[in-house]
Amino acid sequence: MAKRILIIEDDQFLRELISKKLTAKDYEVIQAGDGEEGFEKVKKEKPDLLLLDLMLPGIDGFKVLEKIKADSEIAKTPVIILSNLGQKEDIDKGMNLGAQDFLIKAHFTPNQIIEKVNITLS
Amino acid sequence: MTKEKNIITNFIDGILFLDEKEELVLVNKKAEKFLNTSKKNILGKNLEELKKTGPLKEMLTNFSKKEVTINGKTIEASFINKKGLLIILRDITKEKMVKQMRNEFVSIVAHQLRTPISSIKWTLKMFLEESFGKINKEQEKYLEKVYTVNEKMVELINDLLNISRIEEGRYVYKPTATNLASLIEENIKQFKEKAKEKEINISFKKEGSCLEAVVDPEKIKLVLQNLIDNAIKYNDKGGSILIKLTSDKKNLTVSVKDTGLGIPKEQQKKIFSKFFRAKNVMKSDSEGSGLGLYINKEIIKAHKGKIWFQSVENKGTTFFFSLPLAKK
Repeated sequence: MAKRILIIEDDQFLRELISKKLTAKDYEVIQAGDGEEGFEKVKKEKPDLLLLDLMLPGIDGFKVLEKIKADSEIAKTPVIILSNLGQKEDIDKGMNLGAQDFLIKAHFTPNQIIEKVNITLS
Repeated sequence: MTKEKNIITNFIDGILFLDEKEELVLVNKKAEKFLNTSKKNILGKNLEELKKTGPLKEMLTNFSKKEVTINGKTIEASFINKKGLLIILRDITKEKMVKQMRNEFVSIVAHQLRTPISSIKWTLKMFLEESFGKINKEQEKYLEKVYTVNEKMVELINDLLNISRIEEGRYVYKPTATNLASLIEENIKQFKEKAKEKEINISFKKEGSCLEAVVDPEKIKLVLQNLIDNAIKYNDKGGSILIKLTSDKKNLTVSVKDTGLGIPKEQQKKIFSKFFRAKNVMKSDSEGSGLGLYINKEIIKAHKGKIWFQSVENKGTTFFFSLPLAKK
């Protein structure tokens, strides 16, 4: 069965690009455009992995991550942060909250992101 | 009242003067206001007494330029130690605020720019990977070019973010004892491809037993990256780069020597200024931002180190930086 990946990203174009790439690699993609919707979808859809943006309307990505880790039902969902924040403090904060990886969007190509997804899922 | 006294009394900056016997003999109105005190509380006291208690305590620990916060105001104190001690107090609250606002602005703009630039990057890459169907050779060539230009933009934004952090004074992060030799070797590896393209040979020599310094490794890596990148960019085809790491009792010194363009003598003074690019370099390469060496200077300064260079035009440049050794 195809692995299911949830993307929480408020920029529709970025979401579209990465979805296309993931779909081409036989992943099933679920999308959310803000933190609230994203958290609801993690609970409902139980994805195999979450690609999480940080600067989001409403509750931000850090908060989403915190909520996921505090909810025993979904706490084990692997989370890769995919954001354009990227100061050491942000990275440390994300990793300390339990993210598997922290990728700066502008520093990674779609293929490199897929590679990280593959590694995290294997 | 004499003219001079009048000027001093009503001067816009706070003025205090301790005579040669280290006794406070002059306090003007502004100084009273800044220090939130009255003349009669401090006048006539000597340096030792003033250091112990009262509004000047914090300021007088040493006589280097410093900022102190009094009643929510940021006061900058400067000292002139000549036939007595002259202390000048200036309210820099507004300046600080403007600077902070400017830095926040740059940081927000840079972060906002990263999103569209990421979509350009990803789209171009997906075209090049033929995610949207086959492309021909010519299309590939131009897409590659745009991709390179976009990557420059990514770098420029990184530089701007770095600078805004530097200027906020919260740049160096969690310094740890770091082996500089491995940091250099790691860096050289990263530049292998780029050096090969220009047939440039990079060699590395290390001398000394202790090659550790307490640094923020990410930032020192950036310093090395900037220096090696410049040494390749401004080198001749087939040139060479020698990187040396040495140590004495107190410091580690790294030098990066190239056989390239060199820095014109008349422009050497400005080489560490923000956005400055030397004339000969501007002719040969239009890509640099003029931010790398400024960032380097600030990073090394924040580590209490030194950075300098020797250069002869058309022969080459050697950049040096030294950092205090890690204490055992």
